[in-house]
Amino acid sequence: MTAWLLRRLAASVAIIFAVVTFVFILIHLAPGDPCIVGTGEGVPDPAVCRSLIRQFALDQPVLVQYWRYLVELAHGNLGYSFALHRPVWDALVDTMPFTLQLAGAALLIDFGLGLALGIYQAWRLNRLPDVVLGNVTLFVYSLPTFWLGLILLLLFGEKLRLFPVGGASDPVLCPLVDSFYCLADRIWHMVLPAVTLGLVGAAGTARFQRAAMLEVAQQDFVRTARAKGLPERRVVLHHQLRNALLSVITRFGLTLPFLLTGAVLVETIFAWPGMGRLTVDAILRRDYAIVTAAALIASSLVVAGSLIADLLLGFADPRIRVHEDAVVDIVTA
Amino acid sequence: MLSAMPRRYELLPVVLAVVALGGCERRQLCNAPDCGTLVDAAIGEPGTLLPASTEEITARDVEEQLFLKLADVGMSMNTIGDEDFQPLLAQKWEWDGPLTLVFHIDPRARWHDGQPVTAVDVAFTYDAYSDSTVASPYRAQLKRLASVTARDSLTAVFRFRERYPEMFYDAVYHMRVLPAHLLRSVPREQWKTAAFGRQPVGDGPYRFVSWQAGQAIELRSDTTFFLGRPGIRRLIWRFTPDLGVAVTQLVADQVDVREQLVTPTMIDRVRTAPQVKLYPFAGNTYTCLAFNLRANGDTSKANPIFGDRELRRALTMAVDRASLVKSTLGDIGKVPPGPMSSLLWIWDPEIRQLPYDTAQAARILNARGWRDHDGDGVRDRDGQPLAFRILVPSTSVLRRQYAQLLQEQYRVIGVHVEIDALDPGALQQRISSGRFDSAILSRSNDPSPSSGITQTWTRGGIGGSNYTRYSSPEFDRLVDRAIAAASRDQARQLWRAAMETINADAPAIFLYSLDNVAGIHRRVADVQIRPDSWAALLRTWRIPPDQQIDRDRVER
Repeated sequence: MTAWLLRRLAASVAIIFAVVTFVFILIHLAPGDPCIVGTGEGVPDPAVCRSLIRQFALDQPVLVQYWRYLVELAHGNLGYSFALHRPVWDALVDTMPFTLQLAGAALLIDFGLGLALGIYQAWRLNRLPDVVLGNVTLFVYSLPTFWLGLILLLLFGEKLRLFPVGGASDPVLCPLVDSFYCLADRIWHMVLPAVTLGLVGAAGTARFQRAAMLEVAQQDFVRTARAKGLPERRVVLHHQLRNALLSVITRFGLTLPFLLTGAVLVETIFAWPGMGRLTVDAILRRDYAIVTAAALIASSLVVAGSLIADLLLGFADPRIRVHEDAVVDIVTA
Repeated sequence: MLSAMPRRYELLPVVLAVVALGGCERRQLCNAPDCGTLVDAAIGEPGTLLPASTEEITARDVEEQLFLKLADVGMSMNTIGDEDFQPLLAQKWEWDGPLTLVFHIDPRARWHDGQPVTAVDVAFTYDAYSDSTVASPYRAQLKRLASVTARDSLTAVFRFRERYPEMFYDAVYHMRVLPAHLLRSVPREQWKTAAFGRQPVGDGPYRFVSWQAGQAIELRSDTTFFLGRPGIRRLIWRFTPDLGVAVTQLVADQVDVREQLVTPTMIDRVRTAPQVKLYPFAGNTYTCLAFNLRANGDTSKANPIFGDRELRRALTMAVDRASLVKSTLGDIGKVPPGPMSSLLWIWDPEIRQLPYDTAQAARILNARGWRDHDGDGVRDRDGQPLAFRILVPSTSVLRRQYAQLLQEQYRVIGVHVEIDALDPGALQQRISSGRFDSAILSRSNDPSPSSGITQTWTRGGIGGSNYTRYSSPEFDRLVDRAIAAASRDQARQLWRAAMETINADAPAIFLYSLDNVAGIHRRVADVQIRPDSWAALLRTWRIPPDQQIDRDRVER
């Protein structure tokens, strides 16, 4: 197990390194001068631009810049943001918690609602609720996230005024009152973006879970449980569900990247001050250091999520074990 | 155990309600006459609030409240002489000879840390703004100043290299006075990233309170401000990613101000919000279809199409600019009489321009040998079709729409146009390096015609922001004379002649100048908007006690 874990960690580092290298080179090859783009459409004094470009060493060849970046990275320095005029780490520390909060809430909606619906559909198989929910989840699953976000924003924010239409907190009240109010306020602000991000995933999880439940329902041990005269609720929740959850753990690992990439759109629509919005702004302004650091963080989170899912699967299913000499991935074992 | 679980869940909403109410209970209500909170929906977040180091729009609006200038331009936007300027940090000023201007600092002025504002601060500010290490975007505007020194603690002396009508404007408009005692120890090469820029100490009507990264900047009125207590106690700039979100927040009554609504669609959306009042004011941008007068990708050769002045004139006459403005912008757009926004005092609809005349355009094209020889609907000459590409930024719906309309108008007279919508960064690189045929560009003006027009349309701007590489000795001579003119009337005549020269040469088609429309909550009274900076007079706005709503009364 330890050897497997070390191998997975080494592979993870290699993946992250590859992603960072790819993004670093790609963003530097993208057309556009960070000095000109970063200051909007006006054209700054060429001497000012030259000075800034020299200051940030942007006049060096890409490979030289890349080597310097790696050296700085090895010392724990993610660089300086050209557009924000501050260390990249400071900008990430400010924004990462918001993205994690949003992704966490979306994950809860995705799996909480998705599992509940999937189980309910399997329990009411081929009856009216199953048919209705099957069509509804298919419809929701086919919705583009940005479109759903805009509709929720216009309906519940602008028209009905039930939720705030942007931001992560009330800038008028929150600075003046205690943190308890701000906590409730944060949750209130998070509802629409989290629902936008989580709802489409929940529809997918529901369909996935329903299928998993039906597959398990054909197994002998489920038939045996029913034959023993156990109540239907106990058969579904204790026998069928526990075994059907294994495939959901795999889905959990696969969902994290979608939540992080989805957050880019949702954060922009809802003015949520997270890493996604920071990254979009940075791409538009050719803020190389922020873009590369965001890729580093995002790929680390995705790799970590995948690793956690694999470990969970190993713990959850006693049939899956990894031997010291096994090279095979747990998920595919 | 299982039976107890539902009861615990039932308590959850109650717990949340108690938490929320617990927060509310600690609030006090403001009862003073200056109670009020004004929330602005700002697009984008500034990098720093150190005035010498930034020209971002939101930063400029916030700095307007934090840092004073010696004096500022008046509502007339007259930048010539000093008679229309309003004193701010300077109590008074006088001329000591033709090249020396003496400012007397108001002795009541204080930095927000209690230190007095002195002439040493003024001299330090000039030194910083003109220092290439600081790389201030305003440095170029100060090149005709020779020195700024402190004669005594309250007297600052400005010496100029030459005499010209906008000396006073250059002395006061570009620089906000900075606290020498707080910034002297900060190395100049670190100014852009200095901690001061995220926690500034100013001398203006508002004090800095907080900056929540990605969310908002809050200021609070300085009740001891020497020019009078501001009318509204709290100002908040709430960051939004784009205009759509900003307008949605305004319509949903979650912010009070969106200073530029930009398009008729957004204005119509805001009209549906009964709590918002619209305030039109002169805009500071114009948009043109700029032709590359040098060959695409090779600036050493003339452009085979746009290098021909007569052909450019024909292409200009083929565009019905008035109907384009009417159909896309309605009341908020005008056809500019040259490369200028309606903010400039030289704006004059009587300036001579090329008419919309497709018959004359066709005659010119025929005379130049551009005819449809092969019957494919596109004119050609020596086997080369009359075709070009228009670059537009993919982020601008309005300019993309304009490109399509131009494409159609050119199709009618047999000119083939392709449209390339590019990311703003890519577009900027293409036009900077001369790799384009034509591009729809927006330019912004400050109140003086001298700087913007010179940089964009004279020979001195080639290699900078004169992307068309338009070079006319006659135009340059008229601009130089207009800048040096002794009186405003004389300057106006010379500017007019310069505009007529560039209009006749047609290096670009000046398509539209947008008027601004601000959406502001109806409860805000005494709203005055100066066209060059909507927030310049914010300290005079107020919210009458009988109009105040919950967010005005909330207090620490």
